[in-house]
Amino acid sequence: MNLDFLSAGAAAADGAVARSPMEAKARAAGARFDIRDGWNVAHAFAEGAEEEARAATRTAGWADVSHLGKLELQGPPDQLDRIASECGAELRLGEASRAGEAWWCRLTTTRALVVCEARVTDALRAQLADASAGAEQVTLTEVTTNFAAMTLVGPGAREVFARFCALDLRPAVTPVRALRPGSIARQPGILIREAEDRYLFLFGWATGEYVWSAVADAGEHLGGRPIGIDALSALPGPARAEETLSA
Amino acid sequence: MSRLGQQPGERITRTKKVSFSFDGKKVEAYEGDTIASALYAAGRRTFSRSFKYHRRRGLMCVAGQCPNCICAVDGAPGARACTEPAREGMQVTHVNALPSLEFDAMRVTDIAGGPFTPPGFYYKTFIRPRRLWPLYEKILRNAAGLGKLRHSQPEREWRTEYRRRHADVLVTGGGIAGLQAALAAARLGADVVLADEGPEPGGQQLVEGAPQRVRELAEHVREAGVEILSGASALGYFDGLVPVWQGDTLHQVRARHHVFATGTIEQPLVFAGNDLPGVMLSGGARRLAALYAVSPGRRAVIATTSDRGLHAAAALRDAGVEIAAVADLRPDAGELGRQLRAAGVPVFAGHTVIEAKGSKTVQSAVIAPVEALGADGIRDEHSFECDLVAVSGGAIPASSLPLQAGAQSAYDPALGHFALGALPDGLSAAGEVTGAGSDESVAVSGELAGLRAAHALGLGTDESRARLERLEQAPAQPVDVVVAPAVSGEGRGKCFACFCEDVTSKDVHLSIAEGYDSIELSKRYTTVTMGPCQGRMCQLPSVRLMAQETGQSLQEVGTTTARPPWVSVPMGILGGRPIEPAKRSAIHNRHRELGATIKWAGDWRRAYDYGDPAGEALAVNQAAGLIDVSTLGKLIVRGPDAGDFLDRLYPNRFSNLKPGRIRYGVISSDAGRIVDDGTICRIDDETFYVTTTSSGAGAVEEWFSWWLADWGQRVSLTDVTQGLGAVNLAGPKAREIMAAVCDIDCSNEAFAYLDGKQARIAGVQCLILRIGFVGEVGYEIHFPSAYGEHIWDALVEAGTPHGLRPFGLEPQRILRLQKMHILVGQDTDSESTPFAAAMPWIVKLDKEQDFIGKWALEHYSQQPPAAALVGFTMANGDVPTEGAVVVDEAGTPAGQVTSSRHSPVLGRTIGMAWVPEALAHDGATITISDEGRTLSAEIQTKPFYDPDGEVLRS
Amino acid sequence: MSFLLECPNCGVREVTDFGFGGEVSARPKQRPSFRELNTYNYFRRNVAGVQREWWFHRSGCRAWFIAERDTTTNEVKFTALPADAPGSDPSGESARVAVESGGDLL
Repeated sequence: MNLDFLSAGAAAADGAVARSPMEAKARAAGARFDIRDGWNVAHAFAEGAEEEARAATRTAGWADVSHLGKLELQGPPDQLDRIASECGAELRLGEASRAGEAWWCRLTTTRALVVCEARVTDALRAQLADASAGAEQVTLTEVTTNFAAMTLVGPGAREVFARFCALDLRPAVTPVRALRPGSIARQPGILIREAEDRYLFLFGWATGEYVWSAVADAGEHLGGRPIGIDALSALPGPARAEETLSA
Repeated sequence: MSRLGQQPGERITRTKKVSFSFDGKKVEAYEGDTIASALYAAGRRTFSRSFKYHRRRGLMCVAGQCPNCICAVDGAPGARACTEPAREGMQVTHVNALPSLEFDAMRVTDIAGGPFTPPGFYYKTFIRPRRLWPLYEKILRNAAGLGKLRHSQPEREWRTEYRRRHADVLVTGGGIAGLQAALAAARLGADVVLADEGPEPGGQQLVEGAPQRVRELAEHVREAGVEILSGASALGYFDGLVPVWQGDTLHQVRARHHVFATGTIEQPLVFAGNDLPGVMLSGGARRLAALYAVSPGRRAVIATTSDRGLHAAAALRDAGVEIAAVADLRPDAGELGRQLRAAGVPVFAGHTVIEAKGSKTVQSAVIAPVEALGADGIRDEHSFECDLVAVSGGAIPASSLPLQAGAQSAYDPALGHFALGALPDGLSAAGEVTGAGSDESVAVSGELAGLRAAHALGLGTDESRARLERLEQAPAQPVDVVVAPAVSGEGRGKCFACFCEDVTSKDVHLSIAEGYDSIELSKRYTTVTMGPCQGRMCQLPSVRLMAQETGQSLQEVGTTTARPPWVSVPMGILGGRPIEPAKRSAIHNRHRELGATIKWAGDWRRAYDYGDPAGEALAVNQAAGLIDVSTLGKLIVRGPDAGDFLDRLYPNRFSNLKPGRIRYGVISSDAGRIVDDGTICRIDDETFYVTTTSSGAGAVEEWFSWWLADWGQRVSLTDVTQGLGAVNLAGPKAREIMAAVCDIDCSNEAFAYLDGKQARIAGVQCLILRIGFVGEVGYEIHFPSAYGEHIWDALVEAGTPHGLRPFGLEPQRILRLQKMHILVGQDTDSESTPFAAAMPWIVKLDKEQDFIGKWALEHYSQQPPAAALVGFTMANGDVPTEGAVVVDEAGTPAGQVTSSRHSPVLGRTIGMAWVPEALAHDGATITISDEGRTLSAEIQTKPFYDPDGEVLRS
Repeated sequence: MSFLLECPNCGVREVTDFGFGGEVSARPKQRPSFRELNTYNYFRRNVAGVQREWWFHRSGCRAWFIAERDTTTNEVKFTALPADAPGSDPSGESARVAVESGGDLL
């Protein structure tokens, strides 16, 4: 036996569609869905991506990105560093690095989380498995469905967070690429500041509905709205961070 | 509306009118007015009735400090009329007076009840007969109080917000000191928040100084990037976190440095009739005139202990109030006194006010020389007709916040109050709260605090450091005050030390006579300082009375502890948004669609049943059932030492478990007590899949990683509780259903009891554990949470033709009880050992290595347990309550029922109970005492259903 | 309680982010007497002053670490991973046995 039953991608066949825990909430808010990389994703709302992106740039918008792949590496610090470096990434406490369409996050000296675009999850898992093969004590675990995820964008994003999160997100304290594990909406969370006004945050899969409610309650009151991932990809995002790193 | 002419700092906009109602009558106001300023302008003098005696009370502080103008706005009690802005259409009503403010029937408590309502009167009066207390309580609750909450829940709800704000510096108080501090820090680059209680920053300067200049200063502060929160009270200091209440928002401000520029609170004087409407603090009278252009009175007597009252006399005179007399407690009224005299105002040095007279409002005031006080008869008293007595009994620092932050205070005889001492690192105080007197020294102390805060943050320039050094040389300019007498005119009428709770000087004397002779005891007995003013008006007077009566110094008497909240705050503000963290399985929406009863189970929302728990349980025993068990804790334990690690955590052995096999485990503490239980499946040589109870998931992960942090074995832990969904398919038809959806051989030979296998169900890779919590052939299927609905739908579709029914938590409890499978925490408690819980087989004391709980379990293995966990049955249909008591022949408690249900498949009551060891054998009879019923039950030690597990293994 | 605590992995957070694991105490290395066992299981020093404690970053990295805190003021002297805590067993084997007077109880 092996741990394939943990892998959302590897597990799927016969047209099984992976679903986010926030799907019902997004649907109730008017989301339109599309199957991408095996996931049923809320790609847009009735108004369309352009209008959603515009609204998010004015105040704040949030998108369900639970389909992002998540891979966990555990092992001795030097082994983790070696594996990351083979993949063109770095692992530092408190700061995520961007490489291979993934955020590389060191959570402890011996544990790292790689958060990647859904389309590269399987390939990245295979790459990491190769890199860690033979390395004693290195374990690789797919934890995609451990964490639901949301991206909160817009100039009002920080004020929205301030309604349910005690993390200090002032730019001087939390610069772009900062990695901040900590309580979000009274649940364990992991936050990455992806760009100027863009925050990716992860939280327990089972708390998806609850976190959506907390974000929507705060965000709508401040004039924000849910957006689809089409609008999200039209806004400044992690790609820029990747360029900066390689430059 | 009678108003004065244009005042230089007035806040009202005369071109914009608003109207509201007070007790149903229309009141005209200007924009910028408060409820109180508009009512006062319209001639109202009585604003409330007092707490106990229902005496008339009028405006006193006009700054939201005292309790006198508490009213209800649009049905919500607790508003202060003197700070609540007048809004168009608002409905304001009085509180604590029946039937009306002008005629209050409860006034009888003042006239007749005076001698009968001393401190603690209801403990003294209403204790007998005891059975009448509920009635007394109802009457007392009606007679006292500060208004009524609205009745229906929706009417009580409004949107409140938490807002987290991190800052470099939080300045509390927006007077000159606070503004200067904020400006100095912000100009050096600090991120500064300024919280001020007033509707606009400026503090006392707006009324008693130069309003235009301070407004300009506030503008500079705003331009420097300071976030100014107006109408915002800092509620308390909690290790650097200060909740600031502003309207519907609670800002939780976490700052690295704090500047307390909280100012001072003008003090009343304690004399006969000092609560009559028309007796006002000098600052209150001036606020009415300066901010709202409302004349506080026609003819005033002023009593003061410092220059402040003299300034008030001059200002009120300029506003058109005739000054009948000024009583200055100091032997010499100084330069200001001479100026007033020259202008024709009678100034009496060395005098104070001893009585205010009048029925509904002040009609006259009596002053006397201070040396005559306390003598048998008072010589040379002077009486003046007046409708206003403006008093200034000195000022105390508003030091609650710095005291909560760890500052000490000590009595300063020169200042006549408790002055703030040194502050801990990272905190500073500025302005009048530190005892700074003149405007200039207040401003300097503010700038100093701002510079110091910025420098401590690593900001600052050579210039700013030079500036700091220069300012530090500036001489202090203390205020010239004399200490007010504890009370004057006692014997001429009630002298109130505390307006909130109607405590008179005599009440304080009485409490001391009855033995409550420390300030903390007296506070609790008389309730002085415990009312809405939170000691602002009464702390110092009560300390002075205590000192006078006991002969102690004020330092010896001390003060009561400064506690949050600084102002009365609605509970809803503290409560925040009503959004409760909840976990839901990935199949949750299916349960909703099936009409399940959803209940809390720990922090999960779970399907308790689908409307028919007995039928659902029966379906599992007779056909098949499907339950969502995604809440189970799930841990991957991996590494070369994984087997050894588990051997050290569990009393039984896992290192010898074969890959693909499952074993039950009970976690015990080092005290040998049961902590949690679950099954462990070995995936491969180095990998184990550990499940825990639903409620224990988090604690077990923490427990495992805690020991791992200490032992440092080559093991990695990954908690996949939320990552994997799980369902249990069980029942006589379960195998057939599995065969239909699953790509592996499910025969008993190929997939035996306690086997774990990986297989695809409806295309999704799953881990399938053949275990039997509910007692039938069962498959616990684990899969990535994203496929929850997919798996559920596939199993329901395949199972329905076989009679499969979804079943909830409640039927599962029936089913597991039929098998006597324990629920940790339900059938066990923090004292239960595996031996007592009838699981001695799970403890492997012959294991070579040490394990958690080994030593204690070795001990308990030698001791026969005093009580044992056994099953019981009842034939007559009674079902005892869980928690019912097992009693011995004498009726003495000897045990407890932990679980009990009616079993639909067995047709009788089954249960589990802790009973004395002597009764723990088949066929013994126990007696259960259950809320007045006495029931009899028969002990059974083997499972009620399929006792030998033949069904399970088939 | 609303002081700040610095997680060695994640940085400074509100104390509500963390789980408290109690004071660091020594687990007996060999079989204790029953009395010693009960002392270990049930007795704590509970000092008013500086004590060494276990904390767990429950809402963040989910790692255990050691803190030294003044229980009377909540002033945190330091936080460190068990192996890095000053005064720990130099072999890094057990932070639990490194308490000065913890052994007195046994």
